[in-house]
Amino acid sequence: MIRGSWFDSRFTINDSRNTNNDMEKALRQKAEELLEKGDVKVVLGYGWNRGKTRTTPVFITKPEDVEKLVFNPLCVNNLSLYLTRQYKDIQALGKPAIVAKGCDIRTIAVLIAEGQIERDNIVIIGMTCNGVVYKQELWKGKLSDDIMPTKCHNCDVRNPHLADYIIGDAVDFMPPEEPSGMVFDKIKELDTMEQDKRWEFWMEHFARCVKCYACSKICPLCYCERCIAEKNMPQWIETSAHPRGNLAWNLIRAMHLAGRCTFCGECERACPTDIPLNLINQKLAKEINDAFGYRAGYDEKEHPPLIVFNPDDQEDFIK
Amino acid sequence: MSRIGVFVCQCGNNIASTVDTKKVAEEMSKMPGVVYTCDYKFMCSAPGQENLREIVKAQKLDGVVVSACSPHMHEKTFRKACESAGLNPYKCEISNIREQCSWVHHDKTKKVGTIKSIDLTRMTIERLKKNRPLKNINIPVKKRALVIGGGIAGIQAALDIADGGIEVILVEKEPSIGGNMARLSETFPTMDCSQCILTPKMVEAELHDNITIYTWSEIEKVDGYIGNFTVQIRKKAKYVDEQLCTGCGECIEKCPFKADNEFEMKLNKRKVIYTPFPQAVPNIPVIDAPHCVKIQKDKCGACAIICGPNAIDFKQKDQIITEEVGAIIVATGYQLMPNERFGEYGYGKIKDVISGLQFERLASSSGPTGGEIIRPSDGNVPKSVVFIQCVGSRDEKKGVAYCSKVCCMYTAKHTMLYKHKVHDGQSYVFYMDIRSAGKRYEEFVRRAIEHDGAMYLRGRVSRVYERNGKIVVQGADTLSGNQVEIEADMVVLATAILARDGADTLAQRLGIGYDKHKFYNEYHPKLRPVETVTGGIYLAGTCAGPMDIPDSVSMGGATASKVLGLFSSDEMSREPITAIVNRAICNACWDCLNACPYSAIEKESENDRHGNILRWLAKVNDGLCQGCGICVAACRSKCIDLQGYTDEQVYAAINAF
Repeated sequence: MIRGSWFDSRFTINDSRNTNNDMEKALRQKAEELLEKGDVKVVLGYGWNRGKTRTTPVFITKPEDVEKLVFNPLCVNNLSLYLTRQYKDIQALGKPAIVAKGCDIRTIAVLIAEGQIERDNIVIIGMTCNGVVYKQELWKGKLSDDIMPTKCHNCDVRNPHLADYIIGDAVDFMPPEEPSGMVFDKIKELDTMEQDKRWEFWMEHFARCVKCYACSKICPLCYCERCIAEKNMPQWIETSAHPRGNLAWNLIRAMHLAGRCTFCGECERACPTDIPLNLINQKLAKEINDAFGYRAGYDEKEHPPLIVFNPDDQEDFIK
Repeated sequence: MSRIGVFVCQCGNNIASTVDTKKVAEEMSKMPGVVYTCDYKFMCSAPGQENLREIVKAQKLDGVVVSACSPHMHEKTFRKACESAGLNPYKCEISNIREQCSWVHHDKTKKVGTIKSIDLTRMTIERLKKNRPLKNINIPVKKRALVIGGGIAGIQAALDIADGGIEVILVEKEPSIGGNMARLSETFPTMDCSQCILTPKMVEAELHDNITIYTWSEIEKVDGYIGNFTVQIRKKAKYVDEQLCTGCGECIEKCPFKADNEFEMKLNKRKVIYTPFPQAVPNIPVIDAPHCVKIQKDKCGACAIICGPNAIDFKQKDQIITEEVGAIIVATGYQLMPNERFGEYGYGKIKDVISGLQFERLASSSGPTGGEIIRPSDGNVPKSVVFIQCVGSRDEKKGVAYCSKVCCMYTAKHTMLYKHKVHDGQSYVFYMDIRSAGKRYEEFVRRAIEHDGAMYLRGRVSRVYERNGKIVVQGADTLSGNQVEIEADMVVLATAILARDGADTLAQRLGIGYDKHKFYNEYHPKLRPVETVTGGIYLAGTCAGPMDIPDSVSMGGATASKVLGLFSSDEMSREPITAIVNRAICNACWDCLNACPYSAIEKESENDRHGNILRWLAKVNDGLCQGCGICVAACRSKCIDLQGYTDEQVYAAINAF
């Protein structure tokens, strides 16, 4: 209770935060309907934290609880994480419905392509989206470009694809042809750097890594029951916070996401030492797109290309 | 602690000249876990092996490292020796200090070679310490064979396998077996009649108790792996009941409609109900449905009226036959490059410009002209014939880069056939080089030139056109340096041999490789020329590349010996170097399944006792797995590993370096 009052006093709560009243109403109605009919056993959605300062995942199992569901630009979490097999307690509840923005649905699409979920075993409630805000203290009830992350500037799924139900009015937004924004500008800058400077840049960042594995824990696509970081025969990644182990971990993590990462940005958001993980993920995504013409998360039937054997694959790099 | 023995081979002077083998052995004796070391002149010799066996027993070794040549050479030898001494053969490892060390270092002071040999051997010792004893995998074998393609290569393979007591299914796309060889008039260099030597083999195949022939049939689907293939064969509707038909041929006589004759290379017309040639096997006609008036418009039906045993059945449908076999021989043959590609030679425009196979039919006594060589345009006997070689072959720009191998020989044969039938005729041959390597081949070409008066001109033809009923051939004679112009009555093009249309589709169905020309790839071009990379699938004849009849026949026979060897026991034993899945931590992300070039990964479900699926798992099919390790690299959680080359072993080797 003390903690709650501390939050309450720190941030003023006003109703202008609830800009999506209509969407919320429609969402709650749909969730209630699905739960009442028994189509789903649980709705994964967003709810307010106690101080109404940020949103937190909520798992609604009873129709009378749907009032807890909210939707607004502070709903940043990628809830598809809770569809993966490590959350066995959630899976035990039964068939889920998930409240998902377009970017979250891209992740769901990869999970389906990789056989982690079956499309028929989930209900996707797609939310149209005008962008999200990472830092709640910047949120004054109005969205503007400067408080949105790079992914929202370049979002082409503001109108969700693959959804069973779409909530909210269609959004009229065309992303720029050439990806732009902080992340992509930095990638361009890094590309022009000398190789050893680039190495220095990354070694400096990786030096801060404390191997808390938050990036992996929050990533919906890091669903392995046993991460390679946990394997000790042989020990692929040194466990101590040593530059060599840090490098190994960060490179292996990035390579394991090459062609799969959907740029939800959760890893960088979770990183306590602010390693610019989006940079490395998006650089690899670009490489894959250039080589294979593939962007992850648009077709739930297509397996990410880096791991697919194809007799027609280019072989000109083999010398 | 392990008890490892290290045996360093001097290989005469091959290794000893740049490696101090005594020093290597001495250094190795200091390694923890090594209890015995020695060096020896020839480890692979009988006394060398005997010595190894004795020491394994005497020293109670639990691991053996032989520092010698490449494991490709003698890994099997030493593993066998260890096995006979009671050691698991997979506890014996080879350290390659010849190809990868002594042969590439020329330092006579032996300094460099010795240091490197010590490193290589130390790596192998550390790797060996992590070796687990493995057992060979036994796969049951279904002792039946499938031969795809009923040309001479396929027939030979089928006969040889059948004679070995194995049941064979021979599938042929056309209405009769025989293939392209049935089209040839005479064969070089002996000039015996092609059909006279082929048809006895065709009849033998038909009458053989162990051979089942499906003509007018194609391969629909292939599943499974070596020893255990399931093949679906589409048996196209012949509209003739094979059980009832007596092959009397009255229907063919009565049929009032005609279509282009593919067997005669479109030189004449055949009936719509037909057998491709009189000696067809089986001698049962088929109805060419697209041209049949009864099938298309429900009129006519003359064949059904005349047929005594009522064998005609217009309602027949395609059938899918499923066969289970243990081995597959691919002998799908070739086709000629369409001459239409060579407009400058007038093919298609000038009626008397024909292909080599068309000339074969003209010269054949069973051909459309009864063996008389006449012009297709007016039926006159040509008094001069120009043969143009390398049409499409050795021509990277317009055709293919490779040599079609048989054209030099059959063109020489053509000039002889022509001379034998038209005594006052003159033949001219434009050639690039004469390639007549083969027993009695060169003599054959010399005979064509010296005895039968063929005029050989070394050079290319630039243009062929018509002038006053003659065909004018303009070309260069590079030996005299002159431009030549020949007024010919007929021009024969030796067009390139190509892989069949659809060769790539079949290869994908079978899971075998093919080159950029769609010829199938051998496992090894020299040492394993009839095997493919996919176990249990073999190659015979021109589907693997241009070749002549003797080569095709020997390849057919070679595949038969491979199949009979495979079928010599009920179970097939293979090296256990296959991938293995750690079932406890598999995520079923199917990366391995998508990465595997051999389709060796299967989905397996783990069910509760009510049959509900609890989870999915990847499973390696030992029959299909080739041990390439791609899945191991692809697996993110590293829950798949390659037996005999586990990550742990590789790590240990690297760490020892």
